[in-house]
Amino acid sequence: MLFNSIDFVIFIPIVFLIYWLLNSHLRAQNLFVAISSYVFYGWWDYRFLFLIFFSTVVDFYIAKNMQKYRGPKVRKLLLVCSLFTNLGLLGVFKYYNFFVENFNQAFTFLGYHVNGSSLNIVLPVGISFYTFQTLSYTIDVYRSKLQPTPNFVSFAAFVSFFPQLVAGPIERATNLLPQFYKSRKFEYTNAVDGLRQILWGLFKKMVIADNCALYADMIFNNSESYSGSTLALGAVFFAFQIYGDFSGYSDIAIGTSRLFGFNLMQNFAFPYFSRDVAEFWRRWHISLSTWFRDYLYIPLGGSRYHKVRNVFVIFLVSGFWHGANWTFIIWGAINALYFIPLLLAKRNRVNTSIVAENKRLPSPKELFNIITTFSLVTIAWVFFRAESISHALIFIRDMFSLDLLSLPVYSIRKLIYPIVVLLAFFVVVEWFGRKDKYAIENLLKNKFTPIRWAFYTLIIFLIGMYMQTEETPFIYFQF
Amino acid sequence: MMSIQIINLIKRILIFSVFLIIGYTLLLFLFGSVLKPKHLPNLVYKVGHNYLRLQEVRQTSNVDLLFLGSSHAYRGFDTRIFRVSNYKAFNLGSSSQTPIQTLILIDRYLKKLNPKLVVFEVNPMVFASDGVESGLDLIVSDNNDRHSLKMVFNQKNIKLYNTYLYTLVNSIFNDTAYVKNKAYKKGGYVAKLKPAYFNGEEQDKTLITFNENQIKSFETILRRLNKNGINYILVQAPVTSLKYNSYSNIKAFNSLMASYGDYYNYNEVLNLNDTIDFYDSHHLNQTGVNIFNKAFINFLDNNFQDLKE
Repeated sequence: MLFNSIDFVIFIPIVFLIYWLLNSHLRAQNLFVAISSYVFYGWWDYRFLFLIFFSTVVDFYIAKNMQKYRGPKVRKLLLVCSLFTNLGLLGVFKYYNFFVENFNQAFTFLGYHVNGSSLNIVLPVGISFYTFQTLSYTIDVYRSKLQPTPNFVSFAAFVSFFPQLVAGPIERATNLLPQFYKSRKFEYTNAVDGLRQILWGLFKKMVIADNCALYADMIFNNSESYSGSTLALGAVFFAFQIYGDFSGYSDIAIGTSRLFGFNLMQNFAFPYFSRDVAEFWRRWHISLSTWFRDYLYIPLGGSRYHKVRNVFVIFLVSGFWHGANWTFIIWGAINALYFIPLLLAKRNRVNTSIVAENKRLPSPKELFNIITTFSLVTIAWVFFRAESISHALIFIRDMFSLDLLSLPVYSIRKLIYPIVVLLAFFVVVEWFGRKDKYAIENLLKNKFTPIRWAFYTLIIFLIGMYMQTEETPFIYFQF
Repeated sequence: MMSIQIINLIKRILIFSVFLIIGYTLLLFLFGSVLKPKHLPNLVYKVGHNYLRLQEVRQTSNVDLLFLGSSHAYRGFDTRIFRVSNYKAFNLGSSSQTPIQTLILIDRYLKKLNPKLVVFEVNPMVFASDGVESGLDLIVSDNNDRHSLKMVFNQKNIKLYNTYLYTLVNSIFNDTAYVKNKAYKKGGYVAKLKPAYFNGEEQDKTLITFNENQIKSFETILRRLNKNGINYILVQAPVTSLKYNSYSNIKAFNSLMASYGDYYNYNEVLNLNDTIDFYDSHHLNQTGVNIFNKAFINFLDNNFQDLKE
């Protein structure tokens, strides 16, 4: 079920009302969350429900046995079982064809003929997200950071929790699971805040991302026929598309969770206002970055030894996590190359505060740094969006041709006025809300209610006027 | 028990909803009045020849022939040619008109027009269409009533919601639109003013997927005509052979239409030239219209002698 669908508009109030009617029965409420989550997921394809259930059962019992058998060897073996099961599922469904095709090509290159056949596999939506979420549970139990839960229903609800099941934020068991143990209290202000965050998330997805997607697709799909400036425009549109799409999803997920009395972690913190790439990576897809930091970077040695290698590994794995394609791996590598010089110069933690804090506008230096960082990130996005590495390389070569300084072609220019105005509105609102968890959290908060409501009405109107008439899925569903 | 806070939230949402409806409508009117139509993708308020046609239909009654259908109807049946042959005809075709909209139009105008024969132009694409384009055309061109409201809710498309709301508000302030359209001819026909010819471009293969709602509406129309004792024939107007052969399941479509009554497929009756008689892949130019209409009048003269006024 898509957040931006009529189905969800009907689904959410029904689930909300039943959920709060069950408030005095914690077990029943958790069971209801699990059932609703399975309905939500099954709406897309019920055949893959068994995968979630399988992961849930395996990790529940593995964690339970870790507590039962205290010997380090047994615990390690159990952890390996969990990693093998979860990453095995991910490997089969997401990476099998990639490996087969690359092995075939590698052996062909060496002069051998190997015929490993690829499979026609459907990638289960959200598998990368819930797999990492359950892994965090078994790893934390293994590290004795978390007591295994004795309650299967709570655990099933934690794994399948519908707001963040298919595209995150990837929650840690230490944060989300305990919220299923205690009864939730409905808080009016929290719920209203949640609704506000959902609204902003819908605007980001349906207005910004989907409209930018139109032009990004138009330009990327015919990149050979456009000038450098038009290609640059296409790359910028894609940068906003992916941000609007993914952070919009996260906002809707977090906002929806708040309606049910849950608090999820912040996943995006205005990354395009970052002053360097290190700051960007502290603000972009935070739940994944911190996951890799805690469960891969630190075990590899973190900043204590082999830090350059560790950073490189993290970025490559992060790229590969996004998709079984070399373009994602190169995207990760480019970001590593941006990041490593900052790390070596010990400048990776220079910009930890909010940009232009307590000021209305950034200083010229801050503005320069923001634009530079955005440009670097956008160039890397070309690899993320392109069909192949050669497509990305040609795109970038053509983008940096002499006509980069000319105006984009008329056929594109004449179409984009509305989206340019909408992007300007979006950037201004995000700028003024950059201190908060999401842009409109405190915007106009102290103003007279009708003024605030008029602003929300304007946002809803812009959604109604500029949304696509076809439901468009979120980009990150494919990951 | 539901807590008081939840009840308060629901109350607040309801109050906001009222505020939202008023505010949304005002913004719709404001944006619609200030911005150019091309900058408002989900609002259509530009009226064209269908507006003139629906103005005229209100002044028309008791016709011999009533043409229904899409642009193949209003660009294919030249009412001026029929008038010369002593047929009083009215063409109620409109852009991409699908059975969903045809049903609304016959509910509104059939009684008044009281045709002796309905010529229902059927082409495969309208049966595959969701009907949004035609729905928009109808909302902006005609007075809206419960039929159009029902259509808007059934079709669940934001463009239709916005356009309906806008038209409703606009009608309060500005009841009539001034439309100048030289191509529109009395009786509902729309002519191609300058000579134009199809360039012979190859057409992509198309599999017609029938939209269930269109089939249902189509059946309702036929039932309604039968109930009112009005004769009808189903006609497929000519398209280029390239277009016609691009439908991979045209035989299934032809069989389906033949199962509903007398069906005349002029793609298999006339032998027109793709680059001489058409201005694009599926619309006749005036040369083609003349040939087609002459053949069709011949057919009427031979088979429906009692139609003429």
